[in-house]
Amino acid sequence: MGAVGEYIKSAIASIKNNKGRSFLTMLGIIIGIWAVLTVLVIGDGLRAEAGGQMESLDVVTINASLDVTKTDKYFTPDYMRTIEQDMSCIYGITPSISWWGTATGKKRAYDIYFSAGSEVLAKKGDNKILYGRYFTEDDVDDSNYVCVISQTAARYLFGYENAVGETVDVSDADMTVEFTVVGIREDTSRDKDYAKNDSPALLGDVPYTAVARAYNKDVNALFTEVTAYLHKDNKEEANSKLRSVIENVLDIRGDGAVKIKSSSGMDATADTILNVVTVVVTLIASISLLVGGIGVMNIMTVSVTERTREIGIRKSLGARTGSILTQFLAEASILTFLGGIIGIILGLSTAKIACSLVGFSFIVNPVSMIVVVAISTGIGLFFGIYPARRAAKLDPIEALRSE
Amino acid sequence: MKKLVEIKDVSKIYNPGENEVRALNHVSLTIGEKEFVAIIGQSGSGKSTLMNMLGCLDTPTSGKYFLHGQDVSHMTDDEQSDIRNREIGFIFQGFNLIQSLTALENVELPLIYRGVGKKERERLANAALNSVGLEKRKTHRPNEMSGGQQQRVAIARAIAQAPPILLADEPTGNLDSASSKEIIKIIKRLYSEGRTVIIITHDPGIAKQAKRIITISDGKIQSDIINPDYKED
Repeated sequence: MGAVGEYIKSAIASIKNNKGRSFLTMLGIIIGIWAVLTVLVIGDGLRAEAGGQMESLDVVTINASLDVTKTDKYFTPDYMRTIEQDMSCIYGITPSISWWGTATGKKRAYDIYFSAGSEVLAKKGDNKILYGRYFTEDDVDDSNYVCVISQTAARYLFGYENAVGETVDVSDADMTVEFTVVGIREDTSRDKDYAKNDSPALLGDVPYTAVARAYNKDVNALFTEVTAYLHKDNKEEANSKLRSVIENVLDIRGDGAVKIKSSSGMDATADTILNVVTVVVTLIASISLLVGGIGVMNIMTVSVTERTREIGIRKSLGARTGSILTQFLAEASILTFLGGIIGIILGLSTAKIACSLVGFSFIVNPVSMIVVVAISTGIGLFFGIYPARRAAKLDPIEALRSE
Repeated sequence: MKKLVEIKDVSKIYNPGENEVRALNHVSLTIGEKEFVAIIGQSGSGKSTLMNMLGCLDTPTSGKYFLHGQDVSHMTDDEQSDIRNREIGFIFQGFNLIQSLTALENVELPLIYRGVGKKERERLANAALNSVGLEKRKTHRPNEMSGGQQQRVAIARAIAQAPPILLADEPTGNLDSASSKEIIKIIKRLYSEGRTVIIITHDPGIAKQAKRIITISDGKIQSDIINPDYKED
């Protein structure tokens, strides 16, 4: 086995003796690995970015709206609770409204953007409570002035994160209401984006009933559109049942006044696009690797011809067919191995720059690095076979005679 | 005297058929251990074919070749490689050093193919270089040395793994007369140390340095005499 080490050493020496040519030979491999790796790593970053939403893909939504030309009914809080009771396959149902205001905490005032709904909003994937709790069914039913805000919002308003129990004045036009913070949720990328603005905006959730109460509106005549939250496994069942349940509860059977719209699954589309891009780039890179491999074969064949005499000398000294074969295979695979390493360095650098530009996290999967190195070394082994066999099969007398 | 090389009725025919060339024509030859033989012949006489045959670089078309009593006339390439490595040290006219390797690395080559470990290899290669007076040139590459020095590296390489036979093909053909004398002196010394030396040459001046002179022409041995003028140095 020690001999193999010697062949590798002599292969490295030979690559060093031909630096320029070796580099040009590696170029095809370098570019191929570079391209593949860049796309793979950016793809991983993109998937991780979508990860929050991906996780919440377990939770899907269905929208239901009333055609106001066909009915004058509204989704009242009572109706909504009844629908929830009649449909065990959903987590809950809520109107989806948003509310801008100015929030004044201990420190100073900021714009705040509230998602208002029922306690079922807690099921949204990006609602991870860090401190305190989400608002409850009772909070909704009692129209309590309570809110859940993000980590960033808590820091901006109060100067620290665990602000559970603090109060915040929320005002809009002449109206001002004091809300109690009952929970702090983990930041999402949106929180960071909103807070980055010149005039930072904060995010939080409130019960929809509290908003109605603040504006002194009749909550029984506000909502013609609701969103049901459910586990994705229940999607079919919920889709088929929701319309008839709503028609029953609201007593509008046969009017054709209920429109149902399932969530379209944007993330799945993005994932498909990403997969297509990955396949296309992988294909291009494979061609580059193939061409690179043929380049290696070409140069190795030239090298064998140039070094015919050396091969003859080695044979006369007792080199077996296998020794010569190993030497040239080692040379080809070290060449492509180095190409792979350079490609990895370039690919990771490019991906790191790209990821930091678009704000993805830079994730390096060690397994794919090993696979890449194995592939590039394998290309050298494969495309080195032909020239190496040629070298090994040379007749020593002929080889010694050549100049 | 023990037989080392025994060639029995060997022929080598190139281009069998109408234009066939009989490079060796029913040649028989025995060389014992610790002999000093010159094989002399003009170009085209068949001496190179004979040398390739003796060096296990080529196989006979017919006849048998016994080396150390072992029939080596019909071996596979790898078996021939092993025999060359174990039994024969080549000294070529054109030195045949590998240009990208240092003197020491060149001398180590046959030991690598022998499977000798690194330490032992370096010790043997150093000893061989010392014995040809090149202790100061070990890290030099062939193109940094004179022809005489290169040939001495080649000799060191040939003796590094102590083969019983040294096969020298026109060893002084590319050298000036001073270097030639030096090389012949070394070869004679190697003989006196107990090796079998076979020199293939066209030069009677070189041939008469040997103890036994075999003349070959037209693929046949014309004469095989003990050199009356042989003198020890």
